[in-house]
Amino acid sequence: MNSFRLVSPAFKKFKRVFSHRSRLVLGFLSGGSVLIAFLIYYGLYRFLEYVGRAPMLGDTFGPILGGLLVSKLLEMLFLTLFFMVLFSSIIAALSSFYLNEELPTLMASPLPVGMIFRSRMLLMTIESSWMVAVFFMPALYAFATALKANWPAYLIFPFFLLFAIILPNLAGGFTALSLAAFFPIRQMKKVFQFLSILVLTGLIFFLRSLEAEKLLNPSYFKDISQYILSLQVPLIDYSPSSWLHQASMSLFRNNTGEALWQIAPLVVLGAAGLALLNLFAARFYRQSWQRSMEAVDNQVLGLEWLRKALVWPFRCADPVFRVIVNKEITNFVRDPAIFSQIFMMAAIVFVYGYNLSILPLKDIPSLYSGELNDTLVFLNGPFIGFIVASIGMRFVFPSISMEGRAFWAVKSSPVNPRKILSTKLVLYLVPMLILGIILCMVTNSVFKVSHPVLMYMSYFNVILITLVITSLAIGVGAVYADFSADSPLKIAGSYGGFIYMLLSGFYILNLLILEVYPMYRMFFNRFYVARGSSGIILILISLVLLLTSTAIWVYIPFRKGLDTIENYEPE
Amino acid sequence: MNQNEPVIRFCEIKKQYGTFTALKSVSLEIFRGELFGFLGPNGAGKTTLIRILTGIIQPSGGQIFIGPHDLFAQPDKAKAMIGYVPDRPYLYEKLTPLEYFEFMGGLYNVTSDRIISKGEEMLRMFDLWDRRNELIESFSHGMKQKVAMSAAILHDPEIFVVDEPTVGLDPKSVKLAKNFFKRLIAEGKTVFLTTHTLSVAQDLCNRIAIIRQGDIVALGNMAELQRRASLPGNNLEEVFLKITEEESALQPQII
Repeated sequence: MNSFRLVSPAFKKFKRVFSHRSRLVLGFLSGGSVLIAFLIYYGLYRFLEYVGRAPMLGDTFGPILGGLLVSKLLEMLFLTLFFMVLFSSIIAALSSFYLNEELPTLMASPLPVGMIFRSRMLLMTIESSWMVAVFFMPALYAFATALKANWPAYLIFPFFLLFAIILPNLAGGFTALSLAAFFPIRQMKKVFQFLSILVLTGLIFFLRSLEAEKLLNPSYFKDISQYILSLQVPLIDYSPSSWLHQASMSLFRNNTGEALWQIAPLVVLGAAGLALLNLFAARFYRQSWQRSMEAVDNQVLGLEWLRKALVWPFRCADPVFRVIVNKEITNFVRDPAIFSQIFMMAAIVFVYGYNLSILPLKDIPSLYSGELNDTLVFLNGPFIGFIVASIGMRFVFPSISMEGRAFWAVKSSPVNPRKILSTKLVLYLVPMLILGIILCMVTNSVFKVSHPVLMYMSYFNVILITLVITSLAIGVGAVYADFSADSPLKIAGSYGGFIYMLLSGFYILNLLILEVYPMYRMFFNRFYVARGSSGIILILISLVLLLTSTAIWVYIPFRKGLDTIENYEPE
Repeated sequence: MNQNEPVIRFCEIKKQYGTFTALKSVSLEIFRGELFGFLGPNGAGKTTLIRILTGIIQPSGGQIFIGPHDLFAQPDKAKAMIGYVPDRPYLYEKLTPLEYFEFMGGLYNVTSDRIISKGEEMLRMFDLWDRRNELIESFSHGMKQKVAMSAAILHDPEIFVVDEPTVGLDPKSVKLAKNFFKRLIAEGKTVFLTTHTLSVAQDLCNRIAIIRQGDIVALGNMAELQRRASLPGNNLEEVFLKITEEESALQPQII
């Protein structure tokens, strides 16, 4: 028996998720993932390629300063990656080392504690890092291409990236073990979930405050590039992320020998860290786990005023609707991780609004500025759709799964599953619509939309998109429900969550395609007088097609979700 | 409803999971005012039948009548007559017991006054009144079982379906639960329970069915089961083992 055998149940569970899916869906999903990865890769490559040349600084200084700037951006990316994996690994370690449901059986077995620890460490590393690695990989390869790396660099680089994952995970493991010696585990997990969201929010603001778009504007380029180059934190030079950055730069510039020398300290550090962590775990892991078993979970009954205020409007509603709504609101308010996530969502919304407010519309020649402004208003609805979809992924998509194993209570009651699903749909649709409309109002005022048709169309689009997105979140959330998951974050980050986002994107595309003609007519009519009724007929056809397709997009996920719930057999 | 009318009728209930047959063709009638025990070895099909009875899972074939209602044609009316306590009391952990009662009561259209008065009565009976404002997530298995049992009675069901009622309960609570079932029967309700604790079944049940490999192999009161096992005067444990072993011996052996 070795540590790898101990993690095999987790791998089998993962494999089962895919074995139940049709090849078509898997192919569709893989294609979508590859497309997103390519877009990240290509978009960033074009940006880096431009920044690397810095043409506005001339042929001599441009490439020199641009090269330094690309290097600095890579350093920032590694630092971000390192901290994201570090925080994520502490949370994953607290779960995997102390709260995993297999642990009581493993700890009661005669297996050496070191072997159990290594198996948990392996699970924790995969859980904390896979998603970060997958999303960062295309971005890092964009740097390789921008720096004109040869093909061996692409093959060697994944091994370098391994250190960006292992080292923060080792640090996370040490931190979790040390914390467990002094503090109750469940509370620590919540504290770190909160901290990690704060760090992420901070990163969003930090990256936004860099104002990367100014790098593309000749009049700002010099100032902003000097600012980035002057960013110098002495400690960062001695951090593993900085060593990794230097080694990767050498690798991408095709100095493989030098890169291997530069990565050597990380290899030594990783090996030493693994050995030390093993010794540390052999000495303290069993005791700290036993302590965690004695701790009682806290009683979160705070914020009762908020819960009461939120349920108050429903006090006279139909009893079934009222109790389902009360339960949803109560669960929502009592989830300690919820407020940090609302905070992060608010940051995303703020950054979106800020991005729009700094768009250089006034720099555009006046003849076209109106058209460009209107095009942006037209595209604003879909952008709001993506924001609403990401909020729906966190708050609406997990709502069926969060019924958890207690779902038998609903299944055995006289309440029809349709009533459950429709109640949830209505309950979540209201705040989603309010959010979408507020975003639309704010952005319309930023754009100073004066054309009434455009104004109404923007609200109309947001309402349709929100309706479909909420139905998708409920329906796809029911089809891919995981009633054993303990955290909404885990559900949102699942395979089903990805499908939901992909389908939301497809609907937005569907809406854009069907509205292209009416938009084109509206612009056309500004310059030329429309003749005949064929245009009106085509606009009407577009509208009918849009409403019909929207009804289908609302109905099918809801119906599929309902079928799944009706046939679901709880444990 | 007449005392001699069946309040639950299983008509040729079958359940197939792929190639595995969980229930072959179960037909059974349970009468009003009966405390009916459903026994069987592990994996015999007890929980499957109970889950079909409570509408949690669908059978592969057959019909169930709850009073005059067909469970699959009129599930809302049929389910409203049942109070169910599962073997594993998974509850909504972020609610307090009183909030859980409010939720369950709402699903069954129970008035707030009844939820409050019945909820308090049940929590006091099970010594949980002092913990009424704590989240269920901090409760032990036995305490959750008591909360589930209390919630199942809120809507005053005609039929009380209990899967392994004594698992996780301390001796005092087992006695309380047994008295509670007797009280329900005295009030004219019907109790359908499964248990592995044969002494509980022997003490409480008017009639007992023994299921094995998805088939009912014995049915009757204690005396009838003793006769069926040719063990007059013996306790239920010996009768149960005899009947289930006989049935095993009748199975074709693979050599």
